[in-house]
Amino acid sequence: MTTIVAIRCVDGVVLASDRRASKGGMIGSKAVKKIYPIDGRKAVAIAGQLSDANYLVNLVKAEAKLMEFNRGFPLTVKEVAKLLSNMLYSGMRNYAPYITELLVAGVDETGPNVFEADISGAVTDEMFTSSGSGSPMAYGVLEASYREGLTVKEGAEIAKRAVRSAMERDPGSGNGVQLMVITEKGSEFLDAGGAA
Amino acid sequence: MLPRGSEGAYMMYTPDGRLVQVEYAAEAAKYGSPVVAVRGKGFAVMVARTKEPDPLLDPMEKIHMVDENIGIAGAGFTGDIQLLVDQARIEAQRHRLVFEDPIDVKTLVNQLGQFMYQFTRYGNVRPLGASLIVMGSDRIGNHIFQLDTRGLLLSGKALAIGKNSEAAISLLRGEYRPDIGMKDAINLAVKALSSAEDGESPVEVGIAKGMSFKKMCLRDALESKE
Repeated sequence: MTTIVAIRCVDGVVLASDRRASKGGMIGSKAVKKIYPIDGRKAVAIAGQLSDANYLVNLVKAEAKLMEFNRGFPLTVKEVAKLLSNMLYSGMRNYAPYITELLVAGVDETGPNVFEADISGAVTDEMFTSSGSGSPMAYGVLEASYREGLTVKEGAEIAKRAVRSAMERDPGSGNGVQLMVITEKGSEFLDAGGAA
Repeated sequence: MLPRGSEGAYMMYTPDGRLVQVEYAAEAAKYGSPVVAVRGKGFAVMVARTKEPDPLLDPMEKIHMVDENIGIAGAGFTGDIQLLVDQARIEAQRHRLVFEDPIDVKTLVNQLGQFMYQFTRYGNVRPLGASLIVMGSDRIGNHIFQLDTRGLLLSGKALAIGKNSEAAISLLRGEYRPDIGMKDAINLAVKALSSAEDGESPVEVGIAKGMSFKKMCLRDALESKE
């Protein structure tokens, strides 16, 4: 249950999510945070088991900070995705999988990057991607609207629209949109307008 | 006061606060044949002389490849150097397993430094009698590092280790220029090397630039285009 979206644009990346947490057939929370900054220019959007996702994100945040102290420069987006995927893979192999799917997005010296890491530890490099129960509806919007050369401003509108569409038809998604834009200059949560 | 000859059984301070076993090991590293490294804009080079050629033996290598972007040359006990090179290669491959990318030089030297340092903390082990020059190129630039027996880590524009390295360093201090070109850097390094130790045996050159480290003979290094 959830809809999360990430889009790689020419000048940065965009992450968007809904705000609903489901507890069986009930809405467990109406204001859940599903986008987490890793550092100033990288963030992870989470879908699936909230506790598993939070655990992995906290661990990778700590690891990223330690590595940056030791070597003197920050991790790339790919390195963050690989750290997550290694934990996901060992979870799957040890019959105790982390029930979560993560979108890792950010800007590093190679430019804007979006990766997806799934429950099995598979990592894919994407131009745009979506996850969660609302992703089929979100993909409808993304496939129709995505083109090469999008700016973050345009990407933000598409991401917002994708999550809104999913919230219209997916009972697992709703209660408003949260939006983050990351560029060379840094990351910020943007106002995504009123609750849909 | 410990009985004579027993100070190696435990890694213990002397009353004036020194670890003599570590100092002895550092002394051993000073007898190795010298290595000189110079960093310029957009590249780094290191030079070292191989052992005197012997018609019965295959030539020994002095500069060791660690990964496609990093190389190491050591001064001191050959076995200790080999152990450190093996350790560096393992760390480099371990990094690739985790991140699918080559290791950066700083992370590697930190790990090697930790490895060497462990031998100064425990009794009944022998601190490694070797100094290393670790050189490589990664996505933040080209680097030269010097690691010694204590685990001390130095980095800079020009470094020298091994026999008579003080002479090489004083020459480098006088003649190094930050805008030095690659050929001049190689020639300067060879000059510094020769000031530390005479020798006719072949010079090996390691060149780090553009995310790669390459090893070659002196002639190829001087003939190659920048």
